[in-house]
Amino acid sequence: MKRILSSITDGRGFDIGLVSLPLAFLFVLSGLPLVYNVVMSFQEVDMFSLGSFSRPFVGFKNYIDLFAQPETWPILLNTAIFVTASIAGQFLIGFGLALFFWVNFPGASWLRGLFLVSWVMPGLVVGAIWNWILSGDFGVLNFLLRETGVISGNIFWRSDPNYSLWAVIIANIWLGTSFNMILLSVGLSGIPKDLYEAAELDGANAFQRFWTITLPMMRSTIGAIVALGLIFTLQQFDLFAAITSGGPNNTSNVTQYWAWDLSFRQYDFAKGATISVIMIVFVMFASVVYVRSTRHEVRG
Amino acid sequence: MSDTFRNRLMLAVALVLAAIYLFPLYWMYITALKTGSAMFATPPKFWPSEPQWSIYAFVWESRNMARYLWNSLVIAFGSVALIAVLGVGCAYVLARYRNVWVDIGLFLILMLQVLPASLMVTPIFVGFSQVGLLDTPRLAVILAIAAKSMPFFVVLVRATFMSVPMELEEAALVDGNSRIGAFFNIVLPLARNGILVSAILIFMQAFGEFVYSKSMIQAVELQPASVGLNTFMGPNTNEWNNIMAYATIYVTPILAAFILLQRRIVSGLTSGALK
Repeated sequence: MKRILSSITDGRGFDIGLVSLPLAFLFVLSGLPLVYNVVMSFQEVDMFSLGSFSRPFVGFKNYIDLFAQPETWPILLNTAIFVTASIAGQFLIGFGLALFFWVNFPGASWLRGLFLVSWVMPGLVVGAIWNWILSGDFGVLNFLLRETGVISGNIFWRSDPNYSLWAVIIANIWLGTSFNMILLSVGLSGIPKDLYEAAELDGANAFQRFWTITLPMMRSTIGAIVALGLIFTLQQFDLFAAITSGGPNNTSNVTQYWAWDLSFRQYDFAKGATISVIMIVFVMFASVVYVRSTRHEVRG
Repeated sequence: MSDTFRNRLMLAVALVLAAIYLFPLYWMYITALKTGSAMFATPPKFWPSEPQWSIYAFVWESRNMARYLWNSLVIAFGSVALIAVLGVGCAYVLARYRNVWVDIGLFLILMLQVLPASLMVTPIFVGFSQVGLLDTPRLAVILAIAAKSMPFFVVLVRATFMSVPMELEEAALVDGNSRIGAFFNIVLPLARNGILVSAILIFMQAFGEFVYSKSMIQAVELQPASVGLNTFMGPNTNEWNNIMAYATIYVTPILAAFILLQRRIVSGLTSGALK
């Protein structure tokens, strides 16, 4: 007994104690739900069997039913568009801003940090603001687009099936750009300056320097950021809840909102769990890419 | 082109870029101060002619914001406390050793970091309802947020512990400290700043959390401000000045804290997420 006690205060037991408690916590609250999610996706779950553990197993019925539904493929396509467009927009604007702020001038780093306010704000507030900016008749975005002559009539961003998904994408690009920019700035500052001096002596112009030095040197950073972007975009839920609620008629619905909607609006927990399982498998792939591209950091 | 001229030009362009980027925030503050008719005027006014300062008191009272914000604070403080107590030790051990087990642990933690809350909420909700945790919904939300955010906290704090030289701890051990003594007297104080910054980041996330609260807290008296804002924004609302006043009251403390601590938050964030 005394040996165990002294090990806890003064030996290996101290480390094991420190690490095992949080891991047990994570196992109970993340690991078990993950397993339970898979189990539920093979069960028939309704409001009455919600409280009991013994529910009838139905095999792959939930999966087959899910893909037989007419809205499934459009929603999967929406998810793909949402993810691709959001990542592309966030990355390109973020990279442009990072390159701009890379030129050192007084106040650069402070101003650059200021952009991150979009990232610390509650997602629902961001959604509310964009909901108002994108409003059809009185939205300020429509006004600016009209004044500059880009559009002649108002676009009903939230209620027009052709634009509703893009309303959320615009808000999501705004939300994620700053995070991309900050991480890209960190990557840029890690490139040794003498590479550019050498290239300049060799007569490379700005475009060639960007193409042959900046991009190759940033390869692992860019990989990590795109993977992180994928992870964050697939987590985006608040903007859908605040701007379109997936409507009209599922035209702006994506899987992560649909899973919640099925479980908590239509009380079809088995279907909700089924979509969750499919998406979680997908997210896991993305995170393997992310972990691999930051591996040198993880190993230290 | 002289250096000062170039610097001024760059600064001017940077200010314009920041102004464009931060315009949505400006629009929130301005809309809140507009009257009902000024809000729907075409062309819209970019400066309120008769600011309605009384709107804040009105929204605060009529939407019961004190209660909502109190619930948000309870949830945020609860989550941060739980995460900090559990996460600091975990991060310390993961930073101090380098072997196969640590690598496996880190990998698992990084994987857990990416699980979307809106996908995890279904099994968590069903599981919690079966063990009766939904009778104390705020505690249920705190537990769920802690499980979601702890991996991120561990990754950030681990980066801080990595920068504390191990020799200092070894010296303390040689001087007769126990492991516990060295941990609390030497290592923790040295890592204090990094831990604080990470805790603040987690606090900001938990303060704005929506999915878990919306799904698990049915009683209006226990809902946080994010759910309150969602209820406020009905499908066909036209009270945009009131909604923006609500949003203003909700985010201004967060924005103020962020601007004050900006430098530390940005450096803490970048050191953990990416090297």
